[in-house]
Amino acid sequence: MNRRVSLKEGLKYQGGGPMLSWLLHRISGLAILLFVGLHVISSFFMQQTGSDLATNLNIIYESWIFQILVTFIVIFHALNGLRIAILDIWPRFLVYQREALWLQWFIFIPIYGLTIFILIQRNLSGG
Amino acid sequence: MQVTLKIFRFNPETDKKPSYKTYQVEAQPTDRVLDLLEYIKSTIDGTLSFRRSCAHGICGSDAMRINGRNRLACKALVKDLGNRITVEPLLGMRVLKDMIVDMEPFFENYRQVMPYFINDEPPPARERLQSIEERERFDDTTKCILCAACTTSCPSFWANEKYVGPAAIVNAHRFIFDSRDRAGKERLDILNGQFGVYRCHTIFNCTDACPREIQVTKAIGEVKAAIATGKLD
Repeated sequence: MNRRVSLKEGLKYQGGGPMLSWLLHRISGLAILLFVGLHVISSFFMQQTGSDLATNLNIIYESWIFQILVTFIVIFHALNGLRIAILDIWPRFLVYQREALWLQWFIFIPIYGLTIFILIQRNLSGG
Repeated sequence: MQVTLKIFRFNPETDKKPSYKTYQVEAQPTDRVLDLLEYIKSTIDGTLSFRRSCAHGICGSDAMRINGRNRLACKALVKDLGNRITVEPLLGMRVLKDMIVDMEPFFENYRQVMPYFINDEPPPARERLQSIEERERFDDTTKCILCAACTTSCPSFWANEKYVGPAAIVNAHRFIFDSRDRAGKERLDILNGQFGVYRCHTIFNCTDACPREIQVTKAIGEVKAAIATGKLD
């Protein structure tokens, strides 16, 4: 039997919170790359050709529901990256990795909550 | 209590693909998974294969995936796992039979970091003295039993078996930070290579899997810092 570990087998490993945050970091990184890439391309085509596809893409990006998703991805990726960088610079804090994860969510929730509040408030008031 | 064990089975002589077999056994909450495996082997199915030696969490022979996570079968208690237990071999290693995996790639990575004391200076009249603080510096990483639970829980190792892996780095750490050893720089150069410490993405599966509770990710972080700064303090 070969040693290959399938994606399904790997995802079934019970790594818990730290492994999930690593997975989410990877997925959010790819999502940011995709979002920024498509945004640049659609803006370019909208200016150059004024195509309907590019305009529709921009409408999706600018919708408040999409922005709620994007802000989640960006804020999570930034805070998680900051946690990893801090732990990499000061390895003695790696003993507190679980506490660092809790602290990360403790910081994330009010920032993200405030962002959602502002987004919804603006859209309900038609701003 | 009745326990249902779902066990990974693969016999290279008869099977093309692995399968799972289910066994019902009577167990005490304080029984270990190793006790149940031995009961099955001795009374239900003698073909069941797994490694075991000391059965006291020291030899590191019986590391396997139990309920989706790497543990030693001799340290995993039924009361902590419930009455449905899944037993599978370690991930990222070639399965030879049932729970027995080919450990050679793991030991090849281990040998790469020169896991032995190196000091060519003439020995003193008595022993090479070391202060309590100097000994304390690498105390945690002396506890490794080479069970491979950490290395085979690491997604970077699953992706590429050439990555030296957490266990090899832990054993390198044990000598790099030993004040009596003189080959720290050589080991850091090895770990600074393409398949060295920078394949670690601080996922922490290794730290959670270690049956000896070694702070594996911390040890890897300290080796990374030593490579970056060139300092061994």
